[in-house]
Amino acid sequence: MPFAAPLALLGLAFLPLVVAFWMLKLRRTERTVSSTLLWQRFGEDLQANAPWQRLRRSFLLVLQLLLVILLALLAAQPFVERPATLARDLVVVIDASASMAATDVAPSRLDAARELALEALRNLPAGGRVSVVAAGATPRVVANATSDMGRVHAALAGIAATPATADMGEALALASALAARAGDAQVLVATDAAFTPPTDLEVAAPVTVLQVGRERRNQALVAFAVRSAPTAVTRSVFISVANMDLEPTTERVELWGDGRLLEARDLFLDPLSRADVGIDDVPLDVRVLEARLAGDDQLALDDRAWAVVPPDRLLRILLVSEGDPYLEAALSFLPSAELYGVKPADYGVGTKPELFDLVIFDAALPAALPRVPTLAIAPPRTSALGTVTGSLVDPALGRPAPDEPLLRYVDLTTLHVAEATRLSLPDWARTVVPTVAGDPLLYTGARDGVATGVLAFEPRRSDLPLQVAFPILVSNLVGELVGASRAPTTAVAPGSLVSLPIPSGAAGLRVTRPDGTTLDLAPAVTGGATATFASTEQLGIYTVAPLGLADASPTTTAAGSASASPDAVDPSAPVQFAVDLFDVGESTIAPGSAAALERLGSVAAGGGAGGGGDGRPPARDNLWIPLAALALAFIALEAVVFQRDALVRIRRRLGRGLGRRPAAGAPA
Amino acid sequence: MERETTEAGSAAAAARPPGGRPAFLPSDVDPTVFDEDFLRRLERLAVLVKRPVRGGLKGGRRSVRRGQSVEFADYRDYSLGDDLRQLDWNVYARLEKLLVKLFIEEEDLTVTLLVDGSASMAHGSPDKLVFAKRAAAALGYIALAAEDRVVLTSLGGRAARRRAALRGSGRAFRLLADLSAIEPAAGATDLAAACRHALAQVTGRGVIVLVSDLLDPGAERALRDLAGTGADVIVLHVLAPDELNPTLDGDLRLVDAETGATVDVTLDLAARERYTERVEAWQAELGALAAKRRIAYVPLTSDVPLADLVFAELRRRRVVG
Repeated sequence: MPFAAPLALLGLAFLPLVVAFWMLKLRRTERTVSSTLLWQRFGEDLQANAPWQRLRRSFLLVLQLLLVILLALLAAQPFVERPATLARDLVVVIDASASMAATDVAPSRLDAARELALEALRNLPAGGRVSVVAAGATPRVVANATSDMGRVHAALAGIAATPATADMGEALALASALAARAGDAQVLVATDAAFTPPTDLEVAAPVTVLQVGRERRNQALVAFAVRSAPTAVTRSVFISVANMDLEPTTERVELWGDGRLLEARDLFLDPLSRADVGIDDVPLDVRVLEARLAGDDQLALDDRAWAVVPPDRLLRILLVSEGDPYLEAALSFLPSAELYGVKPADYGVGTKPELFDLVIFDAALPAALPRVPTLAIAPPRTSALGTVTGSLVDPALGRPAPDEPLLRYVDLTTLHVAEATRLSLPDWARTVVPTVAGDPLLYTGARDGVATGVLAFEPRRSDLPLQVAFPILVSNLVGELVGASRAPTTAVAPGSLVSLPIPSGAAGLRVTRPDGTTLDLAPAVTGGATATFASTEQLGIYTVAPLGLADASPTTTAAGSASASPDAVDPSAPVQFAVDLFDVGESTIAPGSAAALERLGSVAAGGGAGGGGDGRPPARDNLWIPLAALALAFIALEAVVFQRDALVRIRRRLGRGLGRRPAAGAPA
Repeated sequence: MERETTEAGSAAAAARPPGGRPAFLPSDVDPTVFDEDFLRRLERLAVLVKRPVRGGLKGGRRSVRRGQSVEFADYRDYSLGDDLRQLDWNVYARLEKLLVKLFIEEEDLTVTLLVDGSASMAHGSPDKLVFAKRAAAALGYIALAAEDRVVLTSLGGRAARRRAALRGSGRAFRLLADLSAIEPAAGATDLAAACRHALAQVTGRGVIVLVSDLLDPGAERALRDLAGTGADVIVLHVLAPDELNPTLDGDLRLVDAETGATVDVTLDLAARERYTERVEAWQAELGALAAKRRIAYVPLTSDVPLADLVFAELRRRRVVG
């Protein structure tokens, strides 16, 4: 049996030492007795004067000698060798995507992948190095070319399934780069392969897939939205459920509002199809909605989804204008909006624009722009809103982006603009409506974190007010500008960045994650109006509260304050947003093709994956675990032998107790 | 046998100062040995004798000698010199033969109390020597109350120290004082030699009571010597409870209280159990030897209450009645 540290066998020199200790005359306690006659006459076998007699009789000594031998063997690290089947430099890629949380293999695919990887590492040649890549939404190296198997174990144990799509292409590219550093390298990918393999990638080492997962039984919530009715009296909820299985099934969908069950419906789902549910009349006081799939499928991550009901608050809009009846009419049509007006000449510090949710400057601009969402219509001069380069006469409209949310239900194909201001697009803005020449007629963006929109022409200088599109465009614009000042109202994908506006006067934000942990955010630049939040890897409701405001109330949600009084618009009140999976790809847990992944790898010189060469050192199986277990058993046995008197007493006491019990009930 | 209250009993009935020494006890008597109630109970007992004995004075005991009591024993032919008063004239009238009536002569009984005063007796918990003194005092008191002669002899070293013979219950306090004066001997005691010495001082056949722990290599020899006297021999074998079931544990050097000899032992539960088993076997051997020699062998532990010893244990073994 070879040893990794044979010098440790010198520890066997302690054997004679142990024997010597036992042979040494004991320092005995003297006790005077009436007579030693009884002890001499009847207790010869109790005496232990002769060392060898004592040695012959002592079971403890035998145990101690065995223990010394075991400890010496343990220190010498014995092992057995066998041919290694892995390369010396191994890169282990662990798929940490949401589908790896599936439980078709107990306890989960990720745990099974870890086990497979650890099992495979037993075939690593002696002295082999291991790198570990956690393939999540952002792949990361959690162990880098280490021979310390303890670190590898810890790195593997630290990988958790993220409720997001893994960037497997990036992970394999990272693994390829790691493998390229060594001559004899191999990439092990532990995955369910439930994704489309990257096609334009070649890994600079053989790729071996350790595939986990067997089944595809999963139903998922793939959409969940709440919308206020135009009357703002009721709310409607939209839920979409997908069946990824090849068998039809019936799933119960539950809608919970603020922790109480609002409605439950049974949905019949055809194989590989989805079904939608609409639920109306959600109570007004509900602020956080949760949808649950009550069925028992193999992926729990996509069985719950959350949505935050947009707060019904009375928007206060300040129109700085000489008077535009069309615009005033359109704004007055907005539900839950209160319109205020002021002449441009009267606008000043006393106007307190910070009290409004939106300030619209109609053909006017103040010297200092307010730090609230702003819509400028035909700005008369160059400002932070844009550089005025002239005017446009009867410009022809270009083709806006088809998926432009601001132009939803807005048809501008028949729009004619008599005159518009020519503006150059500032770097913070995106063009919504361009001219054929590319000049922006309408653009929006976040100017220093403040939602801002600019319409280059006055509505009354076009036929827009006469079209149906006008009130819709106004509504969309207001919604975009006002909504942007709050937290995201639609679900956020896990792992994605969220830009959170910081209320005026606040020093930062405190985000409370679904698990209750908090994170304080500060603006990227001093006085900045937004902070970026990236730690959205948990599914659920996130609560954002401003920091440093005297009247901030972190314990009160935005929903609560809004429902208390629509007029009590508190810009410093906490707001909420939801992070949901809503990823059909991750919900499709059917294992994919391992061969397609393995084809990405290069063929080693020795032929075949893992055949890196005959010069590899053999793999080693350490024998310390059974030896350590044996040593522990010996220690326990020694303790038992040493304390056998107490054990005998306990046994007898128990025996007496058991013996008395039936006697107590027996007839006298 | 119910007897009248003796002088000592009357003395014992005297009032005792509350919380103090009993008023009736002389100053040289250990007040912890007896109390008034115990003395009264002792008066109701008497030492049983299995066979007729030989004594010096007329007493209340049947004697092996034919004498002048009223209890007829046998006839024998008249020979010259016989007391003519003993002739049975009625028989002569019927048979014309001269026959002398023999009567059982009543003699007193000598109870010899041999108290082992070796150093080993001073050990154990409770103290074996104290127990031996109290047992001897109890038996001696019973004998005195029965008008028997009591001789107290303490054994120590190789010799026996004989005290003056006592007779009559009025000498009870003297007996107690003699017992109180027994101190453990310094050095080793040869029990067999001391017993031989004591037996040389015994006159006539009677009852010999040996109270000892028998922790001596010559214990069996001593028993044989005692049995050889022809007297009724009672052996109270006293061991302390911790000698029967020792609580010692671990690696010890045991020092003999008499000889100073040492024995190194390593004790655990199993070893202690083996020791106890062998001590019991040793007692059984002594018991067998005693039975063979017609010795009343009573194994005792020093924690037996004296009342239990006298009124239960010794009665059960027909030592007292």
